[in-house]
Amino acid sequence: MSSSSNNARSSNTHGERRMTVPHLPSSARPRAMSGRDIDNDDDNDEWDAPALRKPRSPKGSTSPRRAVSGPYRSVDGGSNSSRERRAERINVFKKESLIMRTRSPVKSFDDASYRPDKKREKDRSRPGTSHRAAPNSFGAGKRDYEGSQDPWNPQVSLIPHTTAPLAPRITIAPLASDAPQSLQPPHLNQLSLAAQESAMLEDLTFVFMGFEGQYIRFANNYNPSEDKDRLAGPEFRILSGLDPSLRDLTTTMLKMATHYSAIEAFVDVQSREEFGAVNHALCAAIRKILKDYLILVAQIEHQIFTNQNFTLHQLHLYVLPTSRVLSELYSVAHEILRKNSLLEEDLEDSSDEFDDVERVLESLREGGDLGPGNIPGKKICKGGGVLGLLTKRLASMSGDPAARDLLTTLLREASRPYMDMLNEWLHRGGIRDPHGEFLIREQKSIRREKLEEDYTDEYWEKRYTIREQDIPPQLESAKEKVLLAGKYLNVVRECGGVDISKEVKDIPKTFDDPRFLENVNAAYAYANASLLNLLLTTHALPARLRSLKHYFFLDRSDFFSYFLELGASELKKPARGVNVGKLQSLLDLVLRQPGSVAAQDPFKEDVKVQMNEVSLTKWLMRVVSVSGIDQDAPGGGLDSYQAPAALSADEDKNNTGFSALELDYSVPFPLSLVISRKTVLRYQLLFRYLLSLRHLEALLVNCWIDHNMDRSWKHKSSNPRLERWKRRAWTLRARMLVFVQQLLYFSTAEVIEPNWQSLMARLDDGREPGSASTFGSNGNTGSRNGAALVKQPTRTVDELMQDHVDFLDTCLKECMLTNSKLLKIHSKVMTTCTMFATYTAYLSRSLVSADPDLCAGSSPALSSSSSRPGSSAAHSHANNNNNNTNANLNANNAPTYDPHRIDKLMDILVKYEDNFSRHLKILLDALNYYAATETVVLLGLCARLSAATDGGGASAT
Amino acid sequence: MPREIITLQAGQCGNSVGSQFWQQLCQEHGISQDGNLEDFATEGGDRKDVFFYQSDDTRYIPRAILLDFEPRVIHGIQTGSYKNIYNPENFYVGKDGVGAGNNWAAGYATGETVHEEIMEMIDREADGSDSLEGFMLLHSIAGGTGSGLGSFLLEKLNDRFPKKLIQTYSVFPDSQSGGDVVVHPYNSLLAMRRLAQNADAVTVLDNGALSRIAADRLHTSEPSFQQTNQLVSTVMSASTAPLRYPGYMHNDLVGIIASLIPTPRCHFLMTSYTPFTGENVEQAKTVRKTTVLDVMRRLLQPKNRMVSTNPGKNSCYISILNVIQGEADPTDVHKSLLRIRERRLATFIPWGPASIQVALTKKSPYIPMSHRVSGLMLANHTGIAALFKRIVAQYDRLRKRNAFLEQYKKEAPFAEGLGEFDEARAVVHDLIAEYEAAEGIDYLDPDAGKEGLGE
Repeated sequence: MSSSSNNARSSNTHGERRMTVPHLPSSARPRAMSGRDIDNDDDNDEWDAPALRKPRSPKGSTSPRRAVSGPYRSVDGGSNSSRERRAERINVFKKESLIMRTRSPVKSFDDASYRPDKKREKDRSRPGTSHRAAPNSFGAGKRDYEGSQDPWNPQVSLIPHTTAPLAPRITIAPLASDAPQSLQPPHLNQLSLAAQESAMLEDLTFVFMGFEGQYIRFANNYNPSEDKDRLAGPEFRILSGLDPSLRDLTTTMLKMATHYSAIEAFVDVQSREEFGAVNHALCAAIRKILKDYLILVAQIEHQIFTNQNFTLHQLHLYVLPTSRVLSELYSVAHEILRKNSLLEEDLEDSSDEFDDVERVLESLREGGDLGPGNIPGKKICKGGGVLGLLTKRLASMSGDPAARDLLTTLLREASRPYMDMLNEWLHRGGIRDPHGEFLIREQKSIRREKLEEDYTDEYWEKRYTIREQDIPPQLESAKEKVLLAGKYLNVVRECGGVDISKEVKDIPKTFDDPRFLENVNAAYAYANASLLNLLLTTHALPARLRSLKHYFFLDRSDFFSYFLELGASELKKPARGVNVGKLQSLLDLVLRQPGSVAAQDPFKEDVKVQMNEVSLTKWLMRVVSVSGIDQDAPGGGLDSYQAPAALSADEDKNNTGFSALELDYSVPFPLSLVISRKTVLRYQLLFRYLLSLRHLEALLVNCWIDHNMDRSWKHKSSNPRLERWKRRAWTLRARMLVFVQQLLYFSTAEVIEPNWQSLMARLDDGREPGSASTFGSNGNTGSRNGAALVKQPTRTVDELMQDHVDFLDTCLKECMLTNSKLLKIHSKVMTTCTMFATYTAYLSRSLVSADPDLCAGSSPALSSSSSRPGSSAAHSHANNNNNNTNANLNANNAPTYDPHRIDKLMDILVKYEDNFSRHLKILLDALNYYAATETVVLLGLCARLSAATDGGGASAT
Repeated sequence: MPREIITLQAGQCGNSVGSQFWQQLCQEHGISQDGNLEDFATEGGDRKDVFFYQSDDTRYIPRAILLDFEPRVIHGIQTGSYKNIYNPENFYVGKDGVGAGNNWAAGYATGETVHEEIMEMIDREADGSDSLEGFMLLHSIAGGTGSGLGSFLLEKLNDRFPKKLIQTYSVFPDSQSGGDVVVHPYNSLLAMRRLAQNADAVTVLDNGALSRIAADRLHTSEPSFQQTNQLVSTVMSASTAPLRYPGYMHNDLVGIIASLIPTPRCHFLMTSYTPFTGENVEQAKTVRKTTVLDVMRRLLQPKNRMVSTNPGKNSCYISILNVIQGEADPTDVHKSLLRIRERRLATFIPWGPASIQVALTKKSPYIPMSHRVSGLMLANHTGIAALFKRIVAQYDRLRKRNAFLEQYKKEAPFAEGLGEFDEARAVVHDLIAEYEAAEGIDYLDPDAGKEGLGE
């Protein structure tokens, strides 16, 4: 070590100058400590140097020139070396051997250091070195202050790597104000004007690189160990005594120095990993500019040394254009930092508010590392935000050519990584975004496997979302397209439809490329076309939908009637007791019947039977009441209400299998985007509605069969009251049947079928142009930007999905399933009909006992003396014979004649008639109302249903 | 497959109509003359197994039983172009080759003697179906076999399959010009009784109206039986179209009939069909506009009705079902219905549901049609009572003279006297009364209008 004491010394000087490195010394590592040990020794040697300088300073001799060149070299070399020496100290020494001759610029002045934070540096000085009294020996040459007691022991050490790979790793130099009195330069008053000017020139070269000079120092409130201060840039102050003209000139240039330091700190901070690739690219671009700046400083130094006539004025002229650039950079940096909330405190309160600094310090000590993320609740400005900021700035500064050039360059460079991500997304459907700065956010936790139970379209809606805050303005208009393009492509890729190995060529790499939007559009068109093609052609979406129509809308219901017939015994049971497995096998049986429509359907395997114990009306009511569906959002509530939930299942105990039966349908992945759980739910609702109508129709038809074939009904009774009662019962049944059939006709022929047709038409719309362009470019993805794709498919996949949902919602709405009032009345009418239909058996039995002709106990005389009008004697004779045989047949179990039974029957019937007429009337009124106010289609239903009431009024009165 | 319908063809008329019907069905379903599917018949969407079943060699065989006491027509079928599609076991020809001689009583009595053989054929067919929906009887009521055997079958079927539907397509004699059977009033009346008591739905096809329509549409003065039969088979194929081309609704027979027949006794249906174009008759292929409204309006015109009646001013529709085949837009249907309501083109009973129901079905893809839409109306109309009245009147005229009664007295049903005639007349009279009562507002409630018939 001693052999390289010069090296060490220079490394020390270098180190000291670079001590602006913004890192907390608190986490000194053993390795760094050992380095410091070495440096310490040299430091102490080094502090002989000021003695040499003393004669120089007034003269401005050559030695300072070297000293100046030192910092420059070291900065340059330093950044180089720090690039290379991630871990090798030996390298450090080698590099610095180049500058071994440099004298140590007096960086540290002993000041009465009352700054509270100086102790940070002090803490680190080792007691072991304090026996060296070197500083003291020079103290005599200076104005002797009390500082001599304090050993001046500046140290430098390497600090560990941070996540910013290029950030300096050397501890911060002590402040000049902390230096012992002995090292302080002579007071400016004592210098001549020329000497003052050359001192200023010399100091400025330091200051331009962010170090303190002899007379130009950091303002008192500047704390180099404080990130916030460094980012704001150090305020420089000139020691008193300078000639006012020089002072003014110097002061104007100090601004640039402040900017430089601030920018450098900005680069150091912003190139940390968490700031993301765009910031990194921006920092790299800024670094390049800073390099140019440093070259300028070197040139200035050269001028100072070689050109005796070089004056402060000349210097001022030299740096003027650069200072503008730096000032612009500074304000950009400032703005970004402000976005990052790193500077917020600065802006709010003036910098001399120490309390605030204390507070931040406190929070930093607790929080540990100083990172922008540690300031609680602060958001990092990265990615699109940075680009947006640059763009905005570019727009507002467009009048300034220099600024525009600068900002254009910055924007171009910074956008490169972003464009890489964008292209990856647009052309591959993938996201490579470790820092979370891209326009699209991916939620990996939402997996497509969960589509099975995804009732809210979560996969499609939430897996990829736009980061609304972080959209670069260039993409603002195209953000939806960007999102969709990648999303579509992603789906196609998941299905193996995209050749990822192929390199996508000829795409813009930066934001200012004129083809920027064209790129997005083309990618979007391609993605849309390929997904449409995938869905419509490869995965046969139309066929799927048709098969759904078979099963859920029963458009060819023959198979289903048979299924209901076969499963009737099972379905009659309460919903809980139904054997679903048995029903499933029956359904399979029916579907495989040759000759049935379903037999030709390739997707019949996907249909499953299940039981839903919540009755349809109850379910719909809950849906309606949960969301308060209005006409704007029919069916919208279905999203919010996902699981029918078993909690209320107890109330529906008496549901039969018929009312609980529903079908389920499973679809493979890409189609499950369109036929999602959300839509299947709607299909199920419609299905259950149709099923309930159909079941009621079947009940009434069975009732008809009884009425037509059962002896008690068929027999023409001798009692005219009974005959009239029968007529009324028949008529009531007929009205109910007409009601149900009209409802069924309306729901199918006037609601589902036309809506279906228009859905299919729209689907075809999407297919025609889409497939044309897709097939053109399918073979060679490379040429996808070609003209073939410029003509866009008229439809997008999202529109298609929306159409599908709209179709279902319209059907639900027009089938009256989204209006609680209609639902209630409708269910009442249905219940009345169902009860009447199921009551038939009882009525048939009662009828026998009410009919004097049919009862076992009835006397033939009674029937023979029938007063039936218009019946000839012969006929009544025949009738009589029939009655007798009937009576004999019935002798064992027939009830005895009960003359009062007819009154009872009449009462029951009248009750049903009233019920039906009343509810139907309410329903009609409600329908008329809603037809006038929201759903015009219901008008058709009104016209149809009013037919069912015709005559009803006459009979009811 | 479910909901099978077994067709019984009785007598000369029934069998000729039947053979025309099966020929039509085969063409519509793309079944070739040997019972195999044609190569082009791949479109699917139709349901063949209501009327056909597949044999072991996958040929389609009609669920039809052909019955006649005289061999001429059945022989014609057995040697005709579609001879191979029928199951040979399903032919029944009278042993002695002697027909019923236009005598209802002979037909009925012969039926009684051979009923075991016939019922065995019916049982076999019924067992061969998974879920038998019912029977369709094709016959005429004027002659001997169709009328007599048909009546007998109706009674037997009712006994044996009490819950199965029985629908008949009954050809009524041309009551205005008399027709070629002198005793047709006797036969008709006797058959009418069974139709009223034992059938669930009777589609009335009036021979007189058929000839008139055929003559009118086909521009021939003397339409042949073949032409009128074609008319009948068209009606039959259209009325079964909802079953054969299943849609959302009306895919079983009972569903169709139940809405048409609100009260069991009024189960006689009239039909209209338009546009009727005999495909082998060039003259009939006139260019016409076939919109849904046009078709539905034509259907309501009396001249298209296949029953010739002069309805009284009170007569009205009890119910209507329009089967619209072809590309019918539901909104057009709706508009047409509204128009018909507006113009009061159809008057309905005052006491019950008054609506025109519509069943939309596909058309056979294998038969080219010159028109877009065709329609069949099945209507339950009280005016049909006039037809019955005419039959009763003609019967009364014959009966008063005791004409031709010798033939009947020889047969078993009349062994104990002519009471059978009186009973039949009473039943038909009741039926007429029922229809007339249905025209009144007081059908359900005697207090609703003036003192009604019921009291």
